[in-house]
Amino acid sequence: MKEKVFDLKNKALEELKTLSKEADVLNCKAKYLGKKSELNEFLGSLKELAVDEKKIMGPLLNQTKKELEEAFSHKLEEINNQISYDFDETLPIYVETGSMHPITLVTKEMTDIMKKMGFTVVSGPEMEEEYYNFEALNIPKDHPARDMQDTYYLSNGKLLRTHTSPNQVRAMQKYGAPLKVCAPGRVFRNEDMDANHDTTFFQIEGMVIDKGISISNLIYVMRSLLSETFKKDVKVRLRPGFFPFTEPSFELDCSCLICGGKGCPTCKNSGWLEFCGCGMVHPNVLRESGIDPEEYTGFAFGFGVTRIAMMKYKISDIRVLNSGDVRSLQEFEIE
Amino acid sequence: MLISCNRLKKYIKNASDIDFLTIWDDFTLRVAEVEGVTVKGNDMDNVVTAKIVACEKHPESEKLSLLKVSDGEKEYNIVCGAPNVRVGLIGALVRDGGMVSGFKIKTRKLAGYPSEGMMCAVDELGIGTDHEGILELPSDTPIGVDFKKMYPVEDIIVEIDNKSLTNRPDLWGHYGIAREVCAITNHELLPLELLELSNDKKDLEIKIHNPELCKRYCGLKIENLQNNKTPLDMQIFLYYAGMRSINLFVDLTNYLMLELGQPMHAFDARVVKSIEVKLAKEKDTYTTLDGVERVLSKDTLMITNGDEYFGIAGVMGGLDSEILPDTNSIFLESACFDAGSIRKSAVRLGLRTEASARYEKSLDPNMCDVAIKRLAYLLKQENPDMEIVSNLTDVYPNPLTEKIVVLKKDKLQTYTAIHFSDDQVVASLESLGFKVKVLEDAYKIIVPTYRATKDVSMDADIIEEIVRLYGYENIKEIPLKLELTGKEEDTIWNKEYDVKKYLATRYSLNEVHSYLWYDSSLLKACHLEKTGVTLLGKNENNLLRDDLSLSLLPVVKNNLKNVDKLGIFEIGTVIVDNENKRRLSILLADDESKMMNLYYQAKEIVVSLFKSLKHIQVDFKKGKMFSYYNENLSNEIIVNKKAIGYVHVFNGECVRYIGKKKAMVAIEIDFDKYVDEDANEILYENISKYPNVTLDYTILTSKDFKYDELLKILKPFNNKYVKEYRLVGTYEDKEVKKYTMRYILGSEEKTLETKEIDKFKEKFMEHVAKNGLDILS
Repeated sequence: MKEKVFDLKNKALEELKTLSKEADVLNCKAKYLGKKSELNEFLGSLKELAVDEKKIMGPLLNQTKKELEEAFSHKLEEINNQISYDFDETLPIYVETGSMHPITLVTKEMTDIMKKMGFTVVSGPEMEEEYYNFEALNIPKDHPARDMQDTYYLSNGKLLRTHTSPNQVRAMQKYGAPLKVCAPGRVFRNEDMDANHDTTFFQIEGMVIDKGISISNLIYVMRSLLSETFKKDVKVRLRPGFFPFTEPSFELDCSCLICGGKGCPTCKNSGWLEFCGCGMVHPNVLRESGIDPEEYTGFAFGFGVTRIAMMKYKISDIRVLNSGDVRSLQEFEIE
Repeated sequence: MLISCNRLKKYIKNASDIDFLTIWDDFTLRVAEVEGVTVKGNDMDNVVTAKIVACEKHPESEKLSLLKVSDGEKEYNIVCGAPNVRVGLIGALVRDGGMVSGFKIKTRKLAGYPSEGMMCAVDELGIGTDHEGILELPSDTPIGVDFKKMYPVEDIIVEIDNKSLTNRPDLWGHYGIAREVCAITNHELLPLELLELSNDKKDLEIKIHNPELCKRYCGLKIENLQNNKTPLDMQIFLYYAGMRSINLFVDLTNYLMLELGQPMHAFDARVVKSIEVKLAKEKDTYTTLDGVERVLSKDTLMITNGDEYFGIAGVMGGLDSEILPDTNSIFLESACFDAGSIRKSAVRLGLRTEASARYEKSLDPNMCDVAIKRLAYLLKQENPDMEIVSNLTDVYPNPLTEKIVVLKKDKLQTYTAIHFSDDQVVASLESLGFKVKVLEDAYKIIVPTYRATKDVSMDADIIEEIVRLYGYENIKEIPLKLELTGKEEDTIWNKEYDVKKYLATRYSLNEVHSYLWYDSSLLKACHLEKTGVTLLGKNENNLLRDDLSLSLLPVVKNNLKNVDKLGIFEIGTVIVDNENKRRLSILLADDESKMMNLYYQAKEIVVSLFKSLKHIQVDFKKGKMFSYYNENLSNEIIVNKKAIGYVHVFNGECVRYIGKKKAMVAIEIDFDKYVDEDANEILYENISKYPNVTLDYTILTSKDFKYDELLKILKPFNNKYVKEYRLVGTYEDKEVKKYTMRYILGSEEKTLETKEIDKFKEKFMEHVAKNGLDILS
């Protein structure tokens, strides 16, 4: 009998849990606590029991009744507290969101990292003077880079900068040494357009000038910068390169971001990805910017933000970036 | 550039110690980028030298012959379609089960007769392009010998990225590459075998008119040349290195270019009178070896023969002096021209040749005579009876001498943070051909002329040589302590980002990037005659934009093909009065009927932008920047009494350009001014402890009465308790317009009394009535 009472209580409580309407709760209450309820029958049959059993069952039945009454009134209170509104609460949600350009997002991320490393963000003009784009960077008059077919020359004797490196000279002339600057910006090349080439793309320039700056420091800064950017331990290596404004000049490779250096199709099984050009700032460039190359040394690097954005977001056609097509740009919601 | 390892081995002592398959990773790290390594000869198998011992015509075919071919042990039946088959010919036979160019050859029936292999043409062997007939080997060739053993078919061909050799004129030939391989593998570079010339004959007539453009010109005349056939091994080398074999004389000049990097030319000596190097006359024409007539300019450096043009210096020769089948005497040219001049000629003529590509890199003039002596040596191997009939005539106005560079030891240490021993420095530099004298605190270095024309001129260049051979990968990284150095410019970048984020999140606008120049078709379609800075040498899309909003119209047009409404923005450069200006443009587009919403949305964006990011209240004043904007709806944006931009509505032509019935509103803000405008400081204001009174008045006006006019009436109404008044609602029907104005009254000193409020009401009603308007009660 004891078990029966327990079962009854559990059954009532279980049933109560499933109910959410007042009427159902009241019906349920009548079923378990009403005059014809099983519990009431048990109470009625109490007097027929032996004295010993009566002593046990009496309090148990009363306790059970009390508990159930409390549970029902609690449930009723809960239901009465719910304000009922009459509408379809299952409609879908559509959120209209704006977007920032992938270049903006990547540039922000990279300049934030570089700021943490102590770089100041500077900028310079897109329409630039030949002096800053070439002469001051030790690029002589007959250098192929100065050909019409690579550079957009303008009717006013200026040009559209072909790289962000003019910012090196502008920053050195403005602030002098020591100096740690980075300069994100848009650059222009007179090129035929295809999936990998656009006339207009973005770079970030970086430069450190101080006493005693060495190639070892360059390697440190580049490895730290890339590891933070790609959020993994990246290895870097230098190869001989050639740029008129650095000496020695390097091509910098980073360990393949896909395979980590084991070799895969992305890195053509070499384990390395060509990342950027860099080098020790050429003494002529320092001199031209009013810095004594016997006292100061420094390094500079420049890499394509457009390429990083394409790698990061797996954009296969560069032309998407300047298309202004919101169908593709909309995906880049604010982080 | 393609490099043959077979060739390299000839210049390196104990080359067999070097694994030519694996050194190229090191080469990439130490010298220049290797793009690919290809193993040659794997696709040839079971090919032997063999002689045709019988040859008869196929009974039913015009072209086919039935051959019996012997490899010395066995005779094979071969059906062959080549025209040059004959008894006695020795060629290359691929036997049954063998392979050429990757194709398996098996015995099979051809035109009814069994063919137990194939006699091969040069192209089938994968060692050239010739397919005129089967390969003919010299008549003294032993038969039955493995073809791969007899000729250098097996090779490793390395492709080096030309771009990575831009500043290394010494690496445009195999010998220079071999020098680097020696330096990185610690081997000895062998000297080249040259023909020493006695120079006891007469000089040739050679004259340089422009010594600044022609640094040196060497000539040599050789006669009695009987053999003009290039040996097969040289043909194979030329083919592997990417050149076509023509005849021995021409091939040797190409060979020298591939070996030393020195372009050479062989003229038929019968036509040479006297050689001069001078500039062309403007607009003269000249037909080059490739049969194309070219227009010259006064800057084109020419080789002339007497009075006639003979070749474009450093670029290409002409047809007149071409080597012919009966040529038996040649005039050899080995010259050095100015890099810039040759590059410009080549670009101007649209004719980049192997020669011009090398001259552009600033070749070493001291290579000219060496190349001639080398060519003479090689030519004599094939023509033992040749006669040298002139002196090696050398016109060299300003000989280039070795350069001396001093490198301070502490500078080397500063650049690298590595301590190099004197021995290390000397060994690495000497392996590259530099001579080094060790001083107490410096090195005095003599730079060989093949490195001195361009890339090595100062101490930093020497540091590069030492460190690249040491290995960049062996440099340990050293942390660089960088203090924070915030400069004022930081803020520009931040502000751009803040505005972009605000527009994207608050107003769900999409950031776009567009080009710095106008789309010509836009200007044309809208009949806009804009002037400004243009891109030189371009006829289309060549005008730099001076109005960012206008330049975004093509973007709007393209997007409206896919969506009905649009909100985009860009922060970008425009060029105004020859100056770079930074602008923010926001463009909103929607259906024509939504113009009013769009217009107020644009104004809201402007107000909200300045209020949220600068705490500045903006005003609007009628005004526009260009004629293609609507006169009535366009407004100047006024911030702190200065114009900072515009809210523009496009006029008809620009809307028609879109091709759809759309309303477009543009915001154009001078972003430089935006950045410069200081944000207002936020000061705490006490909130009055006395309650405010809110009074709403609905003012009835005529249909065409604008809020602006209402404001003019309400503004002069003064009452000291008015804290604020603003428009809270409008209603419009066919006849009338209603404006509901809310007045908030209050005082910092007391709770307003009923009589004060009543007095306000009375005065206000009076003021409105006086101005001819009704207030609805």
